[in-house]
Amino acid sequence: MIEPETFRSQAPPPLQPHPITIPAPREIVLPNGLTVVVVEERRLPLVSYRLAFRVGGAFDPPELPGLTDLLAGLLPEGTQSRTSREIADEVARIGASLSAGANSDYTIVAASALAMFNDRILELMADVVLNPSFPENEVELARQNTKEGLRQQRAQPSFLASEMVSRVMFGEHPYAVVAPTPESIDRSTREEFVNFHKRKLVPNNAVFIIVGDVQHDDIVRRLESLFSTWERGEELVTDFPAPPVRTKRTAYLIDRPGSAQSNIIIANSGITRTNPDYFPLLLMHTVLGANASSRLFMNLREEKGYTYGAYTNLDARRTAGTFRATAEVRTPVTGDSLKEFFYELNRIRNDRVSEKEIADAKSYLTGVFPIRLETQEGLTDQLVQIKMLRLPDDYLQLYRDRVQAVTLEEIQRVAQKYVKPDEAALIVVGDGSAVLEQIRPYCEDIEIYNTSGKRKTIDASVATNPVGSWSIELETPLGQNIPATLTISRDGGSFTGRFSSELGEADLGAIELHDNSFSASTSVEMDGHSVPVQISGSFEGDHAEGLVTLQDAPAIPFTGSKE
Amino acid sequence: MAETFRLPPSQIEEFTLDNGLRVVLSPDHAMPVVSIAVYYDVGSRNEREGRTGFAHLFEHMMFQGSENVPKAAHFQYIFNAGGTMNGTTSTERTNYFETLPSNYLPLALWLESDRMRSLKVSQENLDNQRNAVQEEKRLRYDNQPYVTAFLRMNEMIFANSANAHSTIGSMEDLDAATIDDVREFFRIYYAPNNAVLTIVGDFDNAEARGLVEKYFSGIPAQQLPPRVDVSEPEHVAIPDEVFPDPLAPAPAFVLGWKIPPRRTKEFYALSLGGTLLFEGDSSRLYQKLVKGDESVISIEGGLDERRGPSAFFIFALPKPGQDPDEIRRQIFDEIKLMATGGPTEDEMEKLRNSLCNDAVRGRQSTMYRAQRLAEFALYDSNPRLIDSELDHYLSITSEDIQNAVARYIDVDNRIFLDIVPAVADEADTVAASPHPPGDPHQPAAPSPQIPDVPPLEPESPVKVEMPQIKPAIPVEQPSDPADVPPQTKPGSGPLHP
Repeated sequence: MIEPETFRSQAPPPLQPHPITIPAPREIVLPNGLTVVVVEERRLPLVSYRLAFRVGGAFDPPELPGLTDLLAGLLPEGTQSRTSREIADEVARIGASLSAGANSDYTIVAASALAMFNDRILELMADVVLNPSFPENEVELARQNTKEGLRQQRAQPSFLASEMVSRVMFGEHPYAVVAPTPESIDRSTREEFVNFHKRKLVPNNAVFIIVGDVQHDDIVRRLESLFSTWERGEELVTDFPAPPVRTKRTAYLIDRPGSAQSNIIIANSGITRTNPDYFPLLLMHTVLGANASSRLFMNLREEKGYTYGAYTNLDARRTAGTFRATAEVRTPVTGDSLKEFFYELNRIRNDRVSEKEIADAKSYLTGVFPIRLETQEGLTDQLVQIKMLRLPDDYLQLYRDRVQAVTLEEIQRVAQKYVKPDEAALIVVGDGSAVLEQIRPYCEDIEIYNTSGKRKTIDASVATNPVGSWSIELETPLGQNIPATLTISRDGGSFTGRFSSELGEADLGAIELHDNSFSASTSVEMDGHSVPVQISGSFEGDHAEGLVTLQDAPAIPFTGSKE
Repeated sequence: MAETFRLPPSQIEEFTLDNGLRVVLSPDHAMPVVSIAVYYDVGSRNEREGRTGFAHLFEHMMFQGSENVPKAAHFQYIFNAGGTMNGTTSTERTNYFETLPSNYLPLALWLESDRMRSLKVSQENLDNQRNAVQEEKRLRYDNQPYVTAFLRMNEMIFANSANAHSTIGSMEDLDAATIDDVREFFRIYYAPNNAVLTIVGDFDNAEARGLVEKYFSGIPAQQLPPRVDVSEPEHVAIPDEVFPDPLAPAPAFVLGWKIPPRRTKEFYALSLGGTLLFEGDSSRLYQKLVKGDESVISIEGGLDERRGPSAFFIFALPKPGQDPDEIRRQIFDEIKLMATGGPTEDEMEKLRNSLCNDAVRGRQSTMYRAQRLAEFALYDSNPRLIDSELDHYLSITSEDIQNAVARYIDVDNRIFLDIVPAVADEADTVAASPHPPGDPHQPAAPSPQIPDVPPLEPESPVKVEMPQIKPAIPVEQPSDPADVPPQTKPGSGPLHP
């Protein structure tokens, strides 16, 4: 028998918090303009390295999207004195790691090694950054593999959604392009890499960040000697065209026939990372959709069961940004999900968030902060973002104070300023014929595209008379087929329905009909509980198909025909 | 140089409560955070026939509330305290863990002890979570290319059903679970004397010990569960099979072998042999097939580490138009070469240095250490192996690797699973994309052995399994330095499910 323990009835209060020591980086600039940031962190004989350049995909030549990322990947694939294989072997032999990549704002060459191999990994980093040879065979292999990867990406609805949202939100701004094309990959020749490398990967545009078991003066001397021949280049200018100003709500439907889910993104224009509204917006984002205890998740997932997760994304980059609400939802509840999304977007604008919500959000952000500084890699990546996005040098020191300083009023102010449902771009990737009419109540202005991004139209559906008895079969997950009857009657201007099967009978009440799609909600008694049931589907001539969903159980598909 | 490499010793205090709960404390004041892990000695290996998937279903049940913690409040408490959390199930164990600001240690112990003491097992919760698990199976297993094939691999390698069946289990068995089954399962396996609790981070030992006693000592012990027979015949159960996969966009294949248990000399040697064959850009198979012949899109491999007979596997995804049989021959040739010539001196140096590197990296994260300590405490009754395990690996010679590969891998006693795209309608094919084994969401791909890469970021554990809240952290453009972008190497928590 378990003894009662009354002390358990309340969550215990926290203990006295312990202070966080946030390491102070030392920074100097070498004569050729290379900025060096060092954090001496001697807890373990380990060092993390990042050589980061303020040049990313946004600087790709317009006819060569993806060039920077391809180039970064090719840096460790051959230098004037080492083959790709030799580089891989030398890195492996010292048990280290070395890799390179780019995002839209910056390019990073990253490494990590035991402190005793400091000199060797630095020499390798210097070699791949200063002397890449872009061998023809490696360029060709990278092109092939990138094209193969692109083919795989286009099969993913999340990629299609991200491609479309960037295109409509950023317009002429280079963030509009998120991926290369097979043609641009083919045009990315060795010569293009050589030129771009020479012009853009220059020391006065770079920061070398080193965190770990090193001695500041030693490391600076070492870098001076390794990079002494590296010459200053032209300054990069970020005079990109401004993203378009949105004035109305438009839906962009990407028709992906057979899609089991709808990927939804509702986007507004946002801010750059250095905008003073960043912290109030970060708090609003945390309340609304940053994590699994935020409003969107609690509503669309926990309460409604439409999705595995609904979130917001505060996409604040160096030269522009967006604020997005996103979820992948079951096809039949696409419209219902939009309803909840717009409800939450309006609510955060119209009503002040509660004291508890702002306190929880502050507690979350300030609590997770030190966990993210626990590892060398974690701290190093924070420093990369600070330097690349030109955040203040005391950013880490003041982060928690800035979070704490945000008020309820400020949250509402930024909600009204940046969350604008009436000017939003609504992107849906899903089965066009199944979701078009679900979207229409939330947006009259709908542009339809195919998965290659070309405009298309969806044929008007075959006119169907839903009234009558439909004989259907439910296919359960266990492979059982359960026969049922769906009866639809017209009652003046509206429709009602009834569902009967060996499982029981249910009155569907009012049925929502849009062209040939229908949906209805009811509940059935099971084991003494009232279990909500959702039924939805479409009619095509004498054929019907759709889904029956019991609470958060997997949807059971059905097909059938008119009696 | 590497041979004399020594890790700084961990500070470890061990004690056992009167009810049998084994506790390991390891203080580290570098950052004001604390990680807690609770490991129960129950995994899919404990499931009897007709009740597969039960351990994992139960993991979900553990988030459904207990006497003083409402349903789904567990993660709310953790998030609102500024923490991260998760739970996972493997063949060997079920684990629950959280990282928090260190002053929230009492909260974590309250939450973990309340569900160990008084889980709310109701028909409603069972139905709800059974549905969630079945939906999870549909979405992440049945609807993913190559994943169901990968589950099949274990059924081909292992003859004993305790070893062979998948952790996610079968739909039929999940449907058959009754409320009495669940209550019985909880009583037998979720007892303090069948569990290990580890705490790593910024705390005072005496204070932590007092809290552990306060929250856990009132939970009664139970009779220990019966030992599981995981013995295996020498030979694989089913050597060859063709697997039609309607979601696979291209043919692929899996090769698999049955190998000795974890922490045997042979296992260490095979783990290192595997590293040389398929880990990273400098590995033999990558250089031969991805680079040299340019015949595969990817080649991956791994070891499934168990207390009993374990597994070694290789997965290859050929490029369109390449002959899978020829690729397979090339793989066998490379294995033969390792079995006859052994690793080179350069390769042995590479192994030594990467072992040391990974051991040091593993020291950074309190969560990673809490998990390693719990494994060693649970499986080996010796958490101090966290400091000495490296030496076991470093003592393996080139000859050991050659012999182990010759004895266990370069043999006909292996499985070959030929995955062929099945005819399906266009929509299915378009929706498919390869998730080769090794992806952290991959169910059967076991965590890599030492060299285990520690989680590089606090989110890492969240990537593996989320009972209530699956993709808890959306991964998109990082917008705040507090949102650490995905790292170049994924973390290696225990793998889903």
